[in-house]
Amino acid sequence: MKEWVIETSALGKRYKGRYAVSNLNLKIGKGEIYGFLGPNGAGKTTTIRMLLGLIQPSSGAIRMFGQPLHKNKMSILRRIGSLVEYPSYYGHLSATDNLEAIRRIIDAPKERIGEVLGIVGLSKEAKRPVKGFSLGMKQRLGIAGALLGSPELLILDEPTNGLDPAGILEIRELIKSMPREYGITVLISSHLLSEVEQMAHKVGIIRQGELVFQDTLESLQQQARGCVSLRVSDAERAMVLLDGCGIDSSLAGEHLNLDGTDDAIVSRAVQELVMAGHSVYRAEERRKSLEELFLRIVGEGQG
Amino acid sequence: MMLAKAFRSDLLKIKGKGLWLLVCLAPVGLIALQVLNFGLRYDYLMKLYAEDLWGGLLDSLLMFVPIALVMGMTILSSLLANIEHYTSSWKQLLALPIPRTAVFGAKFAVAAVMLGVSCALLVVGTVVLGLALGFRAADMPVADIFALSFLPYFAAWPFLALFLWLCMTFRNQAVPLTIGIVLAVFTLFGVSEWLPVSWPMLAYTGPGQEVFVGAGLLAGAVILLVGMVHFSRKDVA
Repeated sequence: MKEWVIETSALGKRYKGRYAVSNLNLKIGKGEIYGFLGPNGAGKTTTIRMLLGLIQPSSGAIRMFGQPLHKNKMSILRRIGSLVEYPSYYGHLSATDNLEAIRRIIDAPKERIGEVLGIVGLSKEAKRPVKGFSLGMKQRLGIAGALLGSPELLILDEPTNGLDPAGILEIRELIKSMPREYGITVLISSHLLSEVEQMAHKVGIIRQGELVFQDTLESLQQQARGCVSLRVSDAERAMVLLDGCGIDSSLAGEHLNLDGTDDAIVSRAVQELVMAGHSVYRAEERRKSLEELFLRIVGEGQG
Repeated sequence: MMLAKAFRSDLLKIKGKGLWLLVCLAPVGLIALQVLNFGLRYDYLMKLYAEDLWGGLLDSLLMFVPIALVMGMTILSSLLANIEHYTSSWKQLLALPIPRTAVFGAKFAVAAVMLGVSCALLVVGTVVLGLALGFRAADMPVADIFALSFLPYFAAWPFLALFLWLCMTFRNQAVPLTIGIVLAVFTLFGVSEWLPVSWPMLAYTGPGQEVFVGAGLLAGAVILLVGMVHFSRKDVA
């Protein structure tokens, strides 16, 4: 059995009678980068706050590292580094002192401050008051703070929000290196698929508080890959025929959609249809981009 | 111990925030008022208090101690809470492996220690002022000087616990600050000995000083406990 670092079952949070998150079943495995996607207000931050014990779930349960969160909160939090929404910092303190304020609580070795500042590339700015930092630098300081306790799990809520393209690239490279170099599992939330598709192994898509997709990125790409659509004289009978020949297809109005775009399958399907007396008017490839698919998944059920 | 860790972290966070300046300023201000008072009507007051010069000085100071204490508690609580409110650091702090009771307790401890330093400075200031005014060192009522500085402080603990709780709960500090200032003014009038606003004054004047000090410490502890429990359970935005 696979060991889940985060496992939620039927997790829900209700605010004033309205569910912000409901029936959420997240499963995040060790060493994965998990992209947690959804539009603004879908419940990403609410979920992350529940995972960190900042807010109490209204229903359901959270298990992390195989233990229930509400019972072993301190020992679980010790293994997690987090950055929730925009970065928190003490503006009047230097970067080093900001990290020292955290270090005094979590008891990390003193040298670790220099190390994490090095990892996020802030060693040169260590002595400056943080209020003079750019947003990107504050964000990196936030990640440094999350890394301070040498966590096994990193929870980052929209870590690239408000960054310029160079900053986004920098953070992305940093996150990608985490599982590789340190064996850290990463949960990263975002409202942009494009942002996580280049680093995530697995994605979960949340819409109006409900998880509507959770699988590997390849599987999402699979779905996004085009299909070949055939317009034939009698789609229904054609489908039955193809089914008999072992070719999977689905009905879409007057069209027949073949799964996949494999040349051999398409040519065989056309051949079978023609041989059986069907008229094939058109065979065209329909392509969906990942982004389109994401928007469709996210857009469903609205309006 | 977790409380000690959070305490050390909080000491670092108040660095450069001017809180220590405030701690020093309050007793200096109280003493400065008496410098003015005695400076302007030195001869008159020396005659008036001729029987007991030190006692006269303490009585003159007395009126301002409770109001300064409650005001100081309000401002200090607000400033301490604001360090976390300012960039919404609560979410970062409370996601660390530390019980929320320790976080709350550490804030209280920081405020209590800082106010304690203020009170100690008031002792020093009173002694220096008295000697500077030419009062006889041999007549110095050491116990009374300490009593004036510390008994009202302990009796005012319910306010410290209350303000800290309010300031940490509400992001908008207008509510706790208003309550604090109104209550501070009420300490001047002996409303009723059953109400905590009267305790700081009564803790020095008596009768029954120890009752008021005890009641203050007890009520402070109860409010602190209730605040801790609430803070531990509330959702962090």
